[in-house]
Amino acid sequence: MDFIIDHLSKSYEQKKVLEDVSFRFSSGKIYGLLGRNGAGKTTLFNCLNRDITVDGGAFFFEDEQGRREVEPEDIGYVLSTPTVPDFLTGREFLKFFMDINRGSITDPKPLDDYFDFISIPAEDRDRLMKDYSHGMKNKMQMLINFIANPTLFLLDEPLTSLDVVVAEEMKQLLRECKEGRIIIFSTHLLDLAVDLCDEIVLLSHGMLQSVDHAALDNDAFKEKILDALREDGHA
Amino acid sequence: MLNTMLLSFSLKNTYRVNAILHSLKQIPLLKRLLPDTLYRVRGLKIFANVLAALYELLSVFLFKFLYVFCFLFLPPILQEGKMLPEAFPQIYLFLALLGAFSNTFLFNPTKEKYYAVILMRMNARSYALANYAYDMAKYLVGQLTAMMVLGGLASVPLWLCALAPLFAAGCKVTVAAYTLHDYEKTGKATSENKLGKLDWVAIGMLLIAAYVPFLLGWFLPQAALAGIFLAGILIGALSLRKVLTFREYRALYQKLLTEGMATLSSAKAAPAAQVKKNISADTGITSKKEGFEFLNELFIRRHQKILWKSSKRIAVVAACIFALLIGLLFFLPEEDRRDMSVLPLTYLPYFTFIMYSVNRGTGFTQALFMNCDVSLLTYSFFKQPKMILRLFRIRLREIIKVNLLPATVIAAGLCFILALSGGTDNPVNYLVLIVSILCLSVFFSVHYLTIYYLLQPYNAGTEMKNGTYRLVLMATYLICFILMQLRLPTLLFGGAVILFCAAYCAIACVLVYRLAPKTFRIHG
Repeated sequence: MDFIIDHLSKSYEQKKVLEDVSFRFSSGKIYGLLGRNGAGKTTLFNCLNRDITVDGGAFFFEDEQGRREVEPEDIGYVLSTPTVPDFLTGREFLKFFMDINRGSITDPKPLDDYFDFISIPAEDRDRLMKDYSHGMKNKMQMLINFIANPTLFLLDEPLTSLDVVVAEEMKQLLRECKEGRIIIFSTHLLDLAVDLCDEIVLLSHGMLQSVDHAALDNDAFKEKILDALREDGHA
Repeated sequence: MLNTMLLSFSLKNTYRVNAILHSLKQIPLLKRLLPDTLYRVRGLKIFANVLAALYELLSVFLFKFLYVFCFLFLPPILQEGKMLPEAFPQIYLFLALLGAFSNTFLFNPTKEKYYAVILMRMNARSYALANYAYDMAKYLVGQLTAMMVLGGLASVPLWLCALAPLFAAGCKVTVAAYTLHDYEKTGKATSENKLGKLDWVAIGMLLIAAYVPFLLGWFLPQAALAGIFLAGILIGALSLRKVLTFREYRALYQKLLTEGMATLSSAKAAPAAQVKKNISADTGITSKKEGFEFLNELFIRRHQKILWKSSKRIAVVAACIFALLIGLLFFLPEEDRRDMSVLPLTYLPYFTFIMYSVNRGTGFTQALFMNCDVSLLTYSFFKQPKMILRLFRIRLREIIKVNLLPATVIAAGLCFILALSGGTDNPVNYLVLIVSILCLSVFFSVHYLTIYYLLQPYNAGTEMKNGTYRLVLMATYLICFILMQLRLPTLLFGGAVILFCAAYCAIACVLVYRLAPKTFRIHG
C-alpha cells in the first residue's frame, strides 16, 4: 500500500508554508524528513493529522483495490515532547487504551508483556505518570502507538532528547515494526536520518523531494543533502 | 545619560506598542481583519504609539489622582461627611513611608530592565540612574499636581501640599540608599516584590498609623508635620549621593533581574503546575470499571480536591448560612418574618450570580485539559468522533452531579425560608424555586463543558489562546452580574430561567454532537 500526498498547500496569510507538496510513500520503509528550521515539517505533520485545515490538495492511501480516505485511526503521531495523561499510572493508561480499542487490537497480550517489551521496570508500572522521566513518558507514548498499529506513523523529532540507550532501543523498535507500515520521521540530526531511514525526503521551498542514495557512500550522500538544504533560504 | 534615557524609553515603548498590537490580534473578528504583518504596518504602529503615549500620561496623572482621591480625600468624607484639612497630610505621611520601601522604582525587577541590562547589555549604571530620574520626575509631577488640586479642595495649605510629595520622594531615595549600602555589605539584592514578614508587619503598622488616629480624631500639629516633611526631604537629599555614586548596578541588577525573570517565566507555567498539584497521590484510588468509565472514575477520584471536596464544602457552608437565617426567623416578630420572604420571592435573579460563583465547571475543564486532554488529544484513537462524544456524555453527567449537591442545598434552604416566613400561599412558587435553581446549576455545568468542547481554548503549551473563549467567559460573568441587580417575582424569573436553561442545554448538546469532533482538538 502507498500513501500519497497530492498537491497539498497551506499558507498563513501571505506566507506560503507548504506550496505544492506531492509525494508517494511506500509501506515497509522509514522515510527521513529533513528541512531547515521553519521549512514547515511540523505544519506538514499537523496537516496530515488534520490538526489544521489545508488550503488545497489531498492525501490518501492507494493499493490494488483503489484509493481510500485516511481515517484518524490510520495515523500514529508521536510528538517530540512526550504527552501522557499525568493523573494515570503507566499500567492504567495501558489498560484504558486496551479497553477502548478492544476488538481492533490483534493478538492482545498481558499488560506486563508490553512493559517488558519497552523495558519499563516493574516498580515504575504502578506510579503516576506525572512522576515519570522524559524517556519513560516517551516510551509509553511510542508503546501506545505501536499497539494501535497505525498504517501511517508520523514521528516529529522523537529521539532528540532521549539518552543514548533509550534512543538505541527506540531505533531498534522502529526497524522491527516498519513492515507493512509507512514511517515518516522528521529530524534535524543528519547522522540519525542516514543511519535509520531507508529514504531521505527534503522539505524545501514548500515542496517535497527525495534524495537519491544510489551510487553514493554515506559521506557523499550527507554532502549532497547538505548542499540541497543550503539552497533553501530558511534559517 | 540623556542618550541612555532615550534608548531605554524607546525600548520600553517598542515593547508596549507590540504588546498593544498583540492584544488587538487576540480579539475575535478584529483578528481576521488584521494582517499577520501588523507589526510593520505604519498606521497601526502610529495608533499603538498614541495608545502607549496615552497610557504613559494616564500613569502620570490619572493614577496619582485616583490614589490621592481614594486614600486621602475620600476617607474623611466617608467618615465625617466633610473634608478634614488635618487628616489629609497626616495620612499622606504614613502612606509615603509605606511606599518608600514597597514601591522603590530602583529595585522593581521589570521585564524592561531585564531586556535592557541583561539581554542588550546596556550600561547598567546609566540605565538605572536615567530610569530612576525619569520615574522620579514622573512621580513628582503627578503627585504634586494631584496633591495641589485635591489638597487645595480639602483646604490644606498649598505649601504643605507641595512639601508632601517631596517628602515621599526623599523617603524613597533614603530607602534606596540604605538598600544599596546593605547590598555592598551583605551582597543581598532585595526585590521590592518579594517582601519579607517584617515588611508586611511594617505595612500593617503604617496602615494602622495612617488611619486609626484619624478615626479617633487625633491629629499632629501642622508645625510637627512640616518639620517631619522637611527632615525627610533633607535626609533624602543627603542620601541621593549614595544612589549617584554607587558603582555596582550591573552586579546588583544581574542578581535582582535573573531571579525576577525566573519567577516571571515560572509564572507563565504556573497554572499548569498548579493544576498538576491537584492530582491526588493516594495510591489507594483504583477503579474496577472499563474504558472511558475507568478513565473518568480515576480522573474524578484523583481530582477530589477541586471537584467533590470543594462542592461538599460549598454545600456545608450554604447549609450553615441557611441554618443561621432559619434560626433568625424564629426570633423575628411576625411582620419582619414576612419581610424575609422577599429573599425567595424576589431575589431569585441574585441567585443566578450565586449559582455562577459556586459552579465548579471552569476548574473542571481546566483540569480536564491540563491533566488529561492535552496528552490524550495527540492520540488518534481518542479523537475519533464516537469516542469524543461518548466521553463528553460521561463528563457532562459527572460535572452535573458535582454541581447539583450545593444546588440542592441552596434550593432546599430557600424553600424552608419561604415556608417559615409564610410569604406565599401559592405552592407553584416552591416548585419554580426548586426547579429553577437546579436548572441554573445544570445550565452552568453544560455551559462550561460545551464551550470547552466547542472552542478548546488551550494550545499544546497549556496556554489559553482563544480570544472568543475569554470573551464568552467575560460575557457569562457580566450577564450574571447584571442579573444580580434585578428584582423580579420568582414565578416570572424562575419560569423564564427554566425555559432558557432547557433550550440552551438542548441547543448546546446538538452543537457539541455536530461540531465537537471537528473543534475538540489541540490548536496550533
